[in-house]
Amino acid sequence: MLIHQFLENSASRTPDKGALIHGGKRATYSRLDRSANFLANWLLQCGMQPGGRVLMLLENGEEYVISYYATLKAGMVAVPLSPETRSEALQQIMMSTTPQVVIASTKGEKALREISPPPASLIAAVLTDPTSSWQERPFPALAFGTLVAEEERAPALAIDPSSLASIIFTSGSTGTPKGVMLSHANIVANSESIIRSLELTEADRQMVVLPFFYVMGSSLLNTHIAVGGSLVINNTFAYPASVLKQMAEEEVTGFSGVPSTYAHLLHRSPLKAYRDKLPALRYCSQAGGHMARQIKEELLTVLPRHTRLYVMYGATEASARLSLVPPERLADKIDSIGVPIPGVTMKIVDASGRELPDGETGELVAAGANIMSGYWNDTQSTAAVLSPAGYHTGDLGYRDSEGYFYLLGRRDHQLKVGGHRINPQEIEDALIASGLLIEVAVLGLEDSLSGHRLVAVGVPVNGSVTEIQIKERCLKHLPRFKVPSEVLLVAALPKNSNGKIALSEIREKIELFRAR
Amino acid sequence: MIEARERIRTYIVENFLFGDDRGLEDSTSFLDSGIIDSTGILELIGFLEESFALKVADDELVPENLDSIDCLVRFMALKKGAMTAGETGC
Repeated sequence: MLIHQFLENSASRTPDKGALIHGGKRATYSRLDRSANFLANWLLQCGMQPGGRVLMLLENGEEYVISYYATLKAGMVAVPLSPETRSEALQQIMMSTTPQVVIASTKGEKALREISPPPASLIAAVLTDPTSSWQERPFPALAFGTLVAEEERAPALAIDPSSLASIIFTSGSTGTPKGVMLSHANIVANSESIIRSLELTEADRQMVVLPFFYVMGSSLLNTHIAVGGSLVINNTFAYPASVLKQMAEEEVTGFSGVPSTYAHLLHRSPLKAYRDKLPALRYCSQAGGHMARQIKEELLTVLPRHTRLYVMYGATEASARLSLVPPERLADKIDSIGVPIPGVTMKIVDASGRELPDGETGELVAAGANIMSGYWNDTQSTAAVLSPAGYHTGDLGYRDSEGYFYLLGRRDHQLKVGGHRINPQEIEDALIASGLLIEVAVLGLEDSLSGHRLVAVGVPVNGSVTEIQIKERCLKHLPRFKVPSEVLLVAALPKNSNGKIALSEIREKIELFRAR
Repeated sequence: MIEARERIRTYIVENFLFGDDRGLEDSTSFLDSGIIDSTGILELIGFLEESFALKVADDELVPENLDSIDCLVRFMALKKGAMTAGETGC
């Protein structure tokens, strides 16, 4: 089985069904499949070789979906990136992945224009909305619109399921982004496992606010295309009220987000008022990092009674997902990341790789057909995380006697304050439990006396909240040495393009603030 | 509302465009143009609430109210009761 066969099978089963709904536009399965066939044939005709890379700088939309499946049909490798990638990072990634074709939206084109010199490998740029003269460049630039036509036949190629399908760059909130190499077999295995876990069918209609270039968004795309469901694309989650309105109008059955998505839905949207207006909403799923217990508990009271909440855990290196908490156990396993999804095994190991008994803390190691083959052009980083036992996640945790896993934080995020080893996640949870903050990040600033000094940066629920109130409430949940020495209140926390809190940017801002 | 328009424009140019206002028309969509991201929208709302002594309700967080200078000026005029509902919208 190959990834693009998800689209081909659904197109042959239900050609006239709406696969994508985006603003006023609707695209059927047949249209997407035939358009992808046309573009795939063009990629081969313009001189690309199987295994060649197609760099995609596109927002969620029909162009993204056509480009992604066309690349796979042509036996090539999709390298999706945020269209807002800064030119310096884009230059690095282009030099490393040597793409032959770049497909870019207006925003992506801006960054692309600043790449100098472009990699010699580049044959052509395809632009959704060409805005400037590209004549002086050594490669031709074509309008995406000139390559949109329908063709019945896909290229006749024998593609091995183990061949590379996509390189997804990890968000890189700390350190240099790494290119995770995922094969057709990796992504197909994980998609099928998620479909079983969430009981997805062709009746499902997913509201997509997460970007497809992020592994969780990519997984939403593949799983819904595989079952013949529909994807409702909304790229304006900055205005959450408009997303909720569309969820009701389009009768969506599923919604997926990262922790900040749900923090904003709870505190900056009319979600409560929509409790009776979302009769079709079957489930919500959350992944993309730890979400505080307070937010989960509030969601359970605010979401419609019939809506199930799936708390999930995963990694780009695992094609997307590794585990979930069955909704019926969420109340009594609320701090858990759940049990492995079908086809995945997880265990806790010590520093020597020995499996630890239940209740003991060590590193979480995961194995299964969904685990990546390694990082692109980076054997050293690959060797650091892949072993015969599987993928070493870098997350510390334990398993309880019922087989449920719990995480205690990242191995490399532990802070030393005075003589104590502190996990910032525990402090963030206590701060959110104060009920005074929408979201928060805790950082350790270097301190010559104590090693690290704890500083929290948070968004208050309203303008009357003070630092002292927060610290007082924190003392109910934490010993004094764990209460941050400083709580800075801001209007919003900087996020990366996946919606995750950008710690490095917060650290820079604090240092800038201090320098003034 | 001319004063409000200018204050909003100055805030956006200084905080999101670092003083360079090329490409910012009063009708430019903040999100589509990439001038402001979702974090920036929350900062912008904080600025509006503080500077103009108004409260943006959760159900008012829609692009029609907030996604360009024109939208913001019309939305605020409505909030201040200076216009009738029929005249709003972008």
